[in-house]
Amino acid sequence: MQQNFKSSYNVHVVRILLTFVGMIIVGSLLRSLLLPSEFGDYGHYRPGAVTEEANREMRNKTNDSCLDCHYFVKKIHLKGVHEVVSCEVCHGAYSDHVKDGKVIGEMPVYRGEEIKSLCLRCHNKIIRARPPESIKMIAMPEHLEEKNVRTDHVCNQCHHVHAPYKWIKEAREMMGLPEKWEGGSSWKK
Amino acid sequence: MEEITKIKKEIDLDRRGFIKKVLSGAIGGSLLLVMPATAREIAEQIPGMKEQTDLFIADKKFAFVVDITGCIGCGSCCIADKNEYQVPDGHYRTWVERYIIDDHDEVYVDSPNGGLDGYTEPRDDIKNPIRDTFFAPKLCNMCENPSCVQVCPVGATFRTEDGFILVDDKRCVGCSYCVQACPYSVRFINPVKHTAEKCTWCYHRVRQGMLPACVNVCPVHARKFGDLNDKSSEVYKLLHEPHVISVLKPDMGNKPSLHYLGLRREVI
Repeated sequence: MQQNFKSSYNVHVVRILLTFVGMIIVGSLLRSLLLPSEFGDYGHYRPGAVTEEANREMRNKTNDSCLDCHYFVKKIHLKGVHEVVSCEVCHGAYSDHVKDGKVIGEMPVYRGEEIKSLCLRCHNKIIRARPPESIKMIAMPEHLEEKNVRTDHVCNQCHHVHAPYKWIKEAREMMGLPEKWEGGSSWKK
Repeated sequence: MEEITKIKKEIDLDRRGFIKKVLSGAIGGSLLLVMPATAREIAEQIPGMKEQTDLFIADKKFAFVVDITGCIGCGSCCIADKNEYQVPDGHYRTWVERYIIDDHDEVYVDSPNGGLDGYTEPRDDIKNPIRDTFFAPKLCNMCENPSCVQVCPVGATFRTEDGFILVDDKRCVGCSYCVQACPYSVRFINPVKHTAEKCTWCYHRVRQGMLPACVNVCPVHARKFGDLNDKSSEVYKLLHEPHVISVLKPDMGNKPSLHYLGLRREVI
C-alpha cells in the first residue's frame, strides 16, 4: 500500500517535468520561427531596420542640386538676400521633378495672390511672434499705401521673388535715387 | 566627258558626306535627349559620411540645437518634412508652436496645422499687454534614456549605437504604447501603415552626408545639427560655451540630445 503511494507520487513529478520540457521545446521552436534570424545581435531589435531606414529615398536635395540645371535662376537667386531660401519650400521636392537624371514632372510656379501668401509666411508684421531684427517685416496693405501704389498689387510686381531688391535697385539707379532711403513715403520727396 | 563624270562623282561624294553629317548630327542629338544626363554628385554637408559603410556611424555623436530666438515661424521646416516623408495630413513629424506671454504671465500657445501653412492670423483674444512672443519648433528629442524604447513590447523601436532612435515598421504592431510613453508627444500612428512613426533626424540623409531636411531649408539658421565629437562644430561650441541653453522637461530624466537655445520656462 505504501509502495503504491510512493510510485504514484514519482509519476506526478515526472509528469510535471515532462510538461516543462515540452513547454520549453514548443516555446523555443515558436521563438525561432517568429523572430527574425539576426534579432538581438546588437540589442533588442532587428539590425536590418537600421539599413532599411538608412536606404530610405532622399526626396529633398539642396539648392545646389536645383541650381545645377537652372543656371538663369542661379544667377539671380544667389545674388539677393533670398539666397538662404530653399527652392524646394516653394516649388516642391526634388524627387518629384528629377529621377535618374531625367525630368519626370513639372514643379509648381506660383503667381499673383499665391505669391503674396508665400511672401507673407515670413514677412508678415501682424504675427507679433518673431524676432524683429532678423527679417524685414511689413504689414499689408499699409506697405502698399506707404509706397504709393495701388492696394491690389501683389509682391512680385515690385520685388523679384528670387532677389527682392533687384528691380528696386535697378529702378533707383535709373531714377538717380540714393541706395538707402530714410523716411516713410519714399518716392514723394 | 571625263571631266563631267569627275564633277558628278565629286558631287556624289559631297552628297554622301552631307547626308552622313546630317544623319550623325541627328542621331547624336537624339541620343543626348534619350541618354540620362550624368547627375552631378552633391557635395557632402557632413564630411566623411559617405565612406562610412558599417551598420552604425562611427566616431560621431550628433546633437540638434534649435534657436528659439532665431525662429521666425515661417514653417519651411514643416514643408520640407512633409515633402521628405509624405506625412499624412493631420500628423506631424515636426511642428512649430507659437507662444505668446502677456504681462500677467498668462501663456497662449497655438499651432494651426502644425505651422505647415505658416502663421497668417494674429491672436486677437489677448486682453493684457504682451510681454514675450516667440516660436518653438518641436521634433524628436533623441533621448539617451528613451521612454518609447523601454515600453515597446516587440522591440520595434530602438536606440542605435550611434544615438538615433528609429522605428522598425515591419515589427511594429501599432499598439501605440510608445505614443503614450513619449513625454514630448512626437510619435503618432501612421493612419495608412498603422505603425508608429516619428522624426528620425533624417537618418537616411545623415547617412549620405546630408543635413536633415528641416535644417537644410531653415532660412534663418534657427535649426542647427552637428557632431559633438568635432570640437570646431557649431553645436559643440554652443553646448560648451556660456549660452542660455536647455532641454525640454529635464525632470523626466530622458536626457534629450535636442537642445534649445534661449528656451523660456513656459515651453513644455
